[in-house]
Amino acid sequence: MALAAAAVLAAVALVPACGNSSSNSSGGGSSTTAGGAAKPSAEPGVTDTEIRVGGVASVTNPLGGKYDQAFDGVKAYFDMVNSEGGVNGRQLKLVSERDDKVASNKDEVRGLLEQDNVFAVLPVATLLFTGADELVAAGVPTFGWTINPEWQGSADNPKANLFGQAGSYLCLGCEQPAVPYIAKEAGKSKVGLLGYAVPQSSQCVDGYDKSFTKYGDEAGASVVFKDSSLSYGTTDFSVQVAKMKDAGVDMVVTCIDTNGVVGLAKELKKQDVKAIQYLPNAYDQELLDEYGDLFEGSYLYTSFLPLESDEPSQGMKDYRKWIEKAGGEVGENSLVGWLNAALFVEGLRKAGPDFTRQKVIDAINSETDWTADGLLSGVDWTESHTQRTNISCSATLKVVDSKFQPVEGPGGTPFVCFDLASGTLEAVRQ
Amino acid sequence: METLLENAVRGIPTGCVFALLAVGLVLTYKTSGVFNLAFGAQAYASAAVFYVVRKDHEWPLLWAALLAVVVVGPAIGLLLERVLFRYLRTAGSMAKLVTSLGLLIAIPEVVKLVLGDESRKNPPPLWYVMRTDEWLWPRNTSIVLDAGQIATIAATVTVVVALVLLFRFSSLGLRMRAVVESPRMAELNGVDSERVSMTSWMLSSLLAGLAGVLLAPLFASLNPLDLFTLLVAALAATVFGGLTSIPLTFAGGLLLGVLQAVLAGSLPTDSILATGLRPALPFLVLFLLLLFRPGLRSTREVTDPLATVEAPPPAPVALVRPHWMTVGTRAFGAVVVALGLAACWFLLDGYWLGLVISGIILGIIMMSLIVVVGMGGMLSLCQAALAAIGAFGTAQLVAATGMSVLGAIVIGAVIAAGVGALLAVPVVRLDGVYLALATLAFALMFESIFVPLSWVSGGAVPLSVPRPLIGPIDLADDRWFLLFAVLCAAAVSAVVIRLREGTTGRFLQALQTSDVAAASIGISGRRSRVVAFTVAAAIAGFGGGLMATYVGQANYQSSFPYLIGLVWVALLVSAGARSVQAAVLSGLFFFLFPAILTRLFTFPGNWVESNPDAPSWVASALGAIQPNWAQSVAFILFGIGAITYAKHPEGSIEAQTATSVGAIVRWVERRRGDAGTGPSDPVPPPSPEVTDAPPLAGTGRPTADSGSPG
Repeated sequence: MALAAAAVLAAVALVPACGNSSSNSSGGGSSTTAGGAAKPSAEPGVTDTEIRVGGVASVTNPLGGKYDQAFDGVKAYFDMVNSEGGVNGRQLKLVSERDDKVASNKDEVRGLLEQDNVFAVLPVATLLFTGADELVAAGVPTFGWTINPEWQGSADNPKANLFGQAGSYLCLGCEQPAVPYIAKEAGKSKVGLLGYAVPQSSQCVDGYDKSFTKYGDEAGASVVFKDSSLSYGTTDFSVQVAKMKDAGVDMVVTCIDTNGVVGLAKELKKQDVKAIQYLPNAYDQELLDEYGDLFEGSYLYTSFLPLESDEPSQGMKDYRKWIEKAGGEVGENSLVGWLNAALFVEGLRKAGPDFTRQKVIDAINSETDWTADGLLSGVDWTESHTQRTNISCSATLKVVDSKFQPVEGPGGTPFVCFDLASGTLEAVRQ
Repeated sequence: METLLENAVRGIPTGCVFALLAVGLVLTYKTSGVFNLAFGAQAYASAAVFYVVRKDHEWPLLWAALLAVVVVGPAIGLLLERVLFRYLRTAGSMAKLVTSLGLLIAIPEVVKLVLGDESRKNPPPLWYVMRTDEWLWPRNTSIVLDAGQIATIAATVTVVVALVLLFRFSSLGLRMRAVVESPRMAELNGVDSERVSMTSWMLSSLLAGLAGVLLAPLFASLNPLDLFTLLVAALAATVFGGLTSIPLTFAGGLLLGVLQAVLAGSLPTDSILATGLRPALPFLVLFLLLLFRPGLRSTREVTDPLATVEAPPPAPVALVRPHWMTVGTRAFGAVVVALGLAACWFLLDGYWLGLVISGIILGIIMMSLIVVVGMGGMLSLCQAALAAIGAFGTAQLVAATGMSVLGAIVIGAVIAAGVGALLAVPVVRLDGVYLALATLAFALMFESIFVPLSWVSGGAVPLSVPRPLIGPIDLADDRWFLLFAVLCAAAVSAVVIRLREGTTGRFLQALQTSDVAAASIGISGRRSRVVAFTVAAAIAGFGGGLMATYVGQANYQSSFPYLIGLVWVALLVSAGARSVQAAVLSGLFFFLFPAILTRLFTFPGNWVESNPDAPSWVASALGAIQPNWAQSVAFILFGIGAITYAKHPEGSIEAQTATSVGAIVRWVERRRGDAGTGPSDPVPPPSPEVTDAPPLAGTGRPTADSGSPG
């Protein structure tokens, strides 16, 4: 019997002239148009009066994340544009809001392409992005939340049609100056690093380790404790905190989820460790409403203008006004949707009245300083698909009285920018 | 030494968490015979109720606790006992475990539908404060406990003492154990088994509720997955206690917590040992205990001594139906498959086509469950991990050597078979629930130790897998890939049917009927089971490789997490664990049903939008229906499907097939009788009379299952 089984499997494998398809993705029998110089009316999702787009979010997710708010951000931006007459005489419409339930991303992306007749895909606010190849193969302008490695391109596959909210390149394991800069600003000198024993988390910890190796001297801070072997879902940080206490840690930098940072903060309080945290995944006022006192003095940074900005840019004023009108919530997810929509509309306008998908993509990829009316520090889309730009900017926030408080950069600017080539923490003008 | 001791003490609160959950599991097992995987789900239900009344409605602590723990917990237990488990008292461990699997899937979704699925941050502790760290004791010492830890330690110790007293010194404890051993024997001795069984379930469910309310504040927000993750980490303690001893289980939980803390304190944090060992410790301990704990390897589970007076399970319909019907079924099946293929090819768009392809590939993976669960009688909970091994093997081979994807898929299947064989050698010596736990432990170890390794999974970025190219046919086209997947499914079906009808299959069927009788005629149970496990692993690996090439990457999180594997088992077993067509239909159902439900739940909202003049009550009623209910409803129905296993252990599709076969046979007999001619073939009686057929049917005439619908 075993032989018979092996024979059947071998027969499948030994079909003559077997090879591998050169296509990265399935095309399907009725794949969508990949662009070209078609008239607008011939483009999918475009009528004489409307431009239709669709998006996908992990609405049903085990983390309790409100990723569906990205839809609200897109709709709010479209409301604003439509109130001004739309683009090229056409109204913008989000016609499809799909829920990928985390595991069905590829299927739902395919549904957008095959069933919903959309011109562009936005927002993509999902925990996994297995449908990325489908979108690249179809050449559809796609805008979303850059947390998955599938967003970033390479020299041989630049994925030029995938646009994150502030660039598409993720580099979890790279050194970067923002966190050493925070340590310097906060006057902290002994850093503890914590991460889970899963690839994304441990790579992120390695990146922070490298960052302090490179910028630590200038920041006056060094890593004195590092543990990236925590089991995912652990609820006990007592031993790690005791070790950090012994090592004199005064700043803890983590690559762990909300459960983890809350558990860690409680343990720091129990063992009376006066250390602040750097919180990469905690830009959520609801979290501070419950646990704000535990994070007093802690920091995080964002790639966009903070929602709490005292002197908001025009982009932030518009966002607040229109998200409220649309009945949405002010928050990171809806802002990401807004940024996605803003970039799409920018490309659409630049592509002109005879726009096509490809023209929109090309128009965006010629942008060298995309700021979304001051919401971003400036994204250079000529290189942001495949590499980090030389100038790295971020906005810093500090937890004060259970609220996020923006920390101004040198000269009172909301963003702090660094020249990565210089290898120093000296802030530069964008 | 002082640090070591300090770390050991630090592990005690976590040890109590493990102990509380493990004692709850053991209590349920001791008093009902069910290894209740849904314990965490029941705990979640009580924790959600406690959250709503204590935090949202600001009830006083006492009333909130009474409602959530003393009312809701036992009420759930009573409901489960009356509706489900009363019918399973004499059933084998497989039926009970599958039913609890169904509840594990269904209960959290029901809770979400009833109480809403919004994020519930900061679950309150079972204490008079609203957050665990608001009350700390003792202060200014090296080891400080918070309100949640103190409540957990106190509750765990109280529960353990109370249960030990109950089982040692009360007649109720004795009656509970007697009813589990044999309800009928207990009744002969004047025990009201109904009442005792209800009491047992209420008691164990009360403990589930208590555990849920106590442990929810360990997390930043309330989530059923977190409680289940804690529960699986506590399984080692249950095995330490042999699933019977409450004191030993308590000790096991404590030891596990202490061991974790000591290792965290003593292993270098950046060492490979720490990275690999610490996250996997609970599962590694569980696996080793199952393999080496004295008494577990050779002990068959205690079952009702009167159970053997019942008839053995019915043989699959495919093995006992008349020959002419087998031929007819094959022809009919071929026509249905051809028509279905044509319909998919010409009518479906890329979205539905993609779901059908995914369903067929999952059907192939589910055929591995037919071999190991249906034929082998071994409830394996690691088939998703074995499929992942096939997928990773395929991806790594293609990336490293650039070889043909088809060749890589086959080699991936061979790798999975090798791993399966290595796993089978120690595991098949275990029985029932122990085997299920060992395979679950393997799946969890694989996830904790191997999936993070870049040489296995590729690390943070999933490895790409291209589509195959066969001569001029590029399988990047989904329609060709559909045909390819159907051919693969047909080939694997043929392997499974040959296995079932061959020597190994008949040995396995004999072993399922009676181990002792089979051994007495020289059948080696161990060898047959190892073969079944290995073949099943190869099939799972083959399916995993196919899934990777279809998706375009070997992505563990989206395709193979162990929890999804549990849903697969529940779905297949409820459809029919011995039927090839049930495997394919289950695979299709898994992907198509939630998508269809989403469409259905989208209609009301769309209708309201396009009919602004509709009466307000109609608009609000229809507007309340949300498309994102689809997953919850689908999982509830999957769970209910598994629960029906109690009534139809042969599976719903197999039961329906048996009914149809019976009706056709009767109709043919009547027609032949009317015509005055006797049947040319001896026709076996239809189900349920089909159970009278010999267990090794088919020895007298050709009996084959075409593997096609019938």
